[in-house]
Amino acid sequence: MKLKKVIASALAGTMLLGGASSVSAATELTFWTLNTRQEAVEPIVEAFNEANEDIKITASFYDTDGIKDACKVAASSDSLPDMWFNWGGSLGQFYVDNGKTYDLTEYAKSNGWEDTFSAGALNLCTLGGQLSGYPTSYNVLGVYYNKTIFDECGIEVPATFEEFEAACAVLKENGYVPMAAAGLNGWHVMRWVELLVEHFAGADLHDNMNSFDESWDNEAVVQALAKYKEWVDAGYFPDGFLTADPNDTIMSFGSGECAMDIQGQWYDGMILQNELDITNYGVFSFPSAEASSRMSAFAEMTQFNKNLTEEELDAAVKFTDYYYSSENVAEYGEYYNLPLPKEGEKAPEDQINVDGMIETSNTNGTFTITDQAFPTEVADVLFNAQDAIANGQMTPEEGAANIQAAIEAYQAK
Amino acid sequence: MTVETEGYHRMKTKKKSNFGAYAFLIPAAVIYLSVIVVPVFYSLFISLFKWNGVSEKEFVGLKNYTTLFTADPTFAIALKNNLIWIVLTICVTMTVALGFAVILNKQFRGRTVFRAFFYFPCVIAPIAVAIIWRWIYNPNIGFINQFFKLIGVDFKQTWISDPKYSLYAIFIAALWQGIGQPMILFLAGLQSVSVDVLEAATIDGAGPVRKFFKVTVPLMKESFVMVIATLIVAAMKVYDVVQGLTGGGPNNSTQMLATYMYSQTFQYNNVGMGTAVACVMVVMMLVVIVPYISFTAKEK
Repeated sequence: MKLKKVIASALAGTMLLGGASSVSAATELTFWTLNTRQEAVEPIVEAFNEANEDIKITASFYDTDGIKDACKVAASSDSLPDMWFNWGGSLGQFYVDNGKTYDLTEYAKSNGWEDTFSAGALNLCTLGGQLSGYPTSYNVLGVYYNKTIFDECGIEVPATFEEFEAACAVLKENGYVPMAAAGLNGWHVMRWVELLVEHFAGADLHDNMNSFDESWDNEAVVQALAKYKEWVDAGYFPDGFLTADPNDTIMSFGSGECAMDIQGQWYDGMILQNELDITNYGVFSFPSAEASSRMSAFAEMTQFNKNLTEEELDAAVKFTDYYYSSENVAEYGEYYNLPLPKEGEKAPEDQINVDGMIETSNTNGTFTITDQAFPTEVADVLFNAQDAIANGQMTPEEGAANIQAAIEAYQAK
Repeated sequence: MTVETEGYHRMKTKKKSNFGAYAFLIPAAVIYLSVIVVPVFYSLFISLFKWNGVSEKEFVGLKNYTTLFTADPTFAIALKNNLIWIVLTICVTMTVALGFAVILNKQFRGRTVFRAFFYFPCVIAPIAVAIIWRWIYNPNIGFINQFFKLIGVDFKQTWISDPKYSLYAIFIAALWQGIGQPMILFLAGLQSVSVDVLEAATIDGAGPVRKFFKVTVPLMKESFVMVIATLIVAAMKVYDVVQGLTGGGPNNSTQMLATYMYSQTFQYNNVGMGTAVACVMVVMMLVVIVPYISFTAKEK
């Protein structure tokens, strides 16, 4: 009997201690992000957790397409993390439409975010009338080129579409693949195709098509797809590019096999990570028919779970502020898409192309990248059209008609 | 003790022991019900709805199924590809696995090393297999095209990017990995064939080929049942190697039911449609496997 009492007392004591410890426990938050940033995020999380005993961040990492799927699955089972990396446009919109994200509009107002972040970034993160995430980057895409190859072939940076095509022809004659392209998952090839659409459609029509106010089944899209097919047949893309992994274009571009690649300003960081000579690479905006030559753009953000308490939200913002602080950016610059979308931010000195790209995008203007303008099922129809046209299974006319049919099917859902 | 009370006592003991057996089955039954049976029926239930995975479900009856079979060309491609994959698996994978098993069942120096060598790809994760073979098939620096170049043959193929060959190119990658498992099952079957029976057949004048088809193969019937059933199930749910090599492309030419189910469910947020694809897969597997197993069981 005595023994029972002792055991009961011990158990009760343990429960009390457990209860006491749970009262004083740290605010625990989970964070899902891209594995391309893991080498920076891990030490940042560790340092943050050490400096903030009342907060504990646990990070998990996924590849580009993996995080999209993981978040969808988690949303279905109501088990989204407290914070997750996401893109703007249709990808981020899904979580807003389904009431899964914390609306930061009021929080931003109370904390003066309009003075901290650039208006463009806040605008791209505002979806369905809600500020749906903490803006972490504002990305613009340009044509990266190998200066040595251009010099060797006697090519100047093309200022017109005709000059661009002439440069491709010269590169091909000299044994280079003019443009790196990788069609696995579709989106890398899409970057070239959307520039052709911009060229043939012009800014107004392209914007209206992206917002589904104009049909994609039109002459400009047919011309763009026909030009894409012409480039494929001319051998301007690598052999077998349709199933190549887009994460590997740095290999063909860095090795000098391909002379150009279509990438965002984060590519400076990748060039540095791969220990390539950054001074050998330059960037220009794809010269479209319109004088402005707009660049494709998209935003990235950290979305917060709708169910966060005020205390958790403060902790989440505190961590995100720390992650995107100037000290961490200075230490792990190549793992960020710089410059940060904050007022007065500049890129690190070693990322020599970034400031120029941002300036050009401000001067020329931007359009929303197609896979963020489109819902995934419509984007996949575009990707299939890219494949089929390249392989001669589909005409450009059929491709344009298929995209429009997919848009109409999506709208009818 | 009278006869009656003895009988009652026996009945009581029997009942007690039955209850004990059932009690031991409860944990397995709970796991089986919660992880297999309930999700299967829940999937069937979901397939009758239009649902994006998060919002309210809207009942649509059999519309998801009628759409798949009457108005979805991608589903038709995936279905056709799965059927081709099943035929290839049965004809090629099983034949090659049986061939290797027969060879590796013979006595020769280094037999164990060769067994391990041919079984080895089986332990590699399918997604890693996909990455390995993506490099092998690379048109510019891949092993195959480089090999042709090395031996002076002017032959260049884009392999997985060419819709005419992509499915078969993926199948070869899957074959490389998938041969180990059936080979081991066949090896076990071959070793269970009695040497006495084979000797008797030899005395009766049967040659090696006749002995193999008339004695060895019939005696390995249970191995064949196991291999064919597992190969059909694996062929129906093939996913990783396809997703890793082509993602179902180019232009859906390597789309499979499993990859299409995944796209519908997790990428397009058409959870009802995705689970309808999953249900079709289950029905197809049952239609092929149940009659086959019951037929072979009856023969036995």
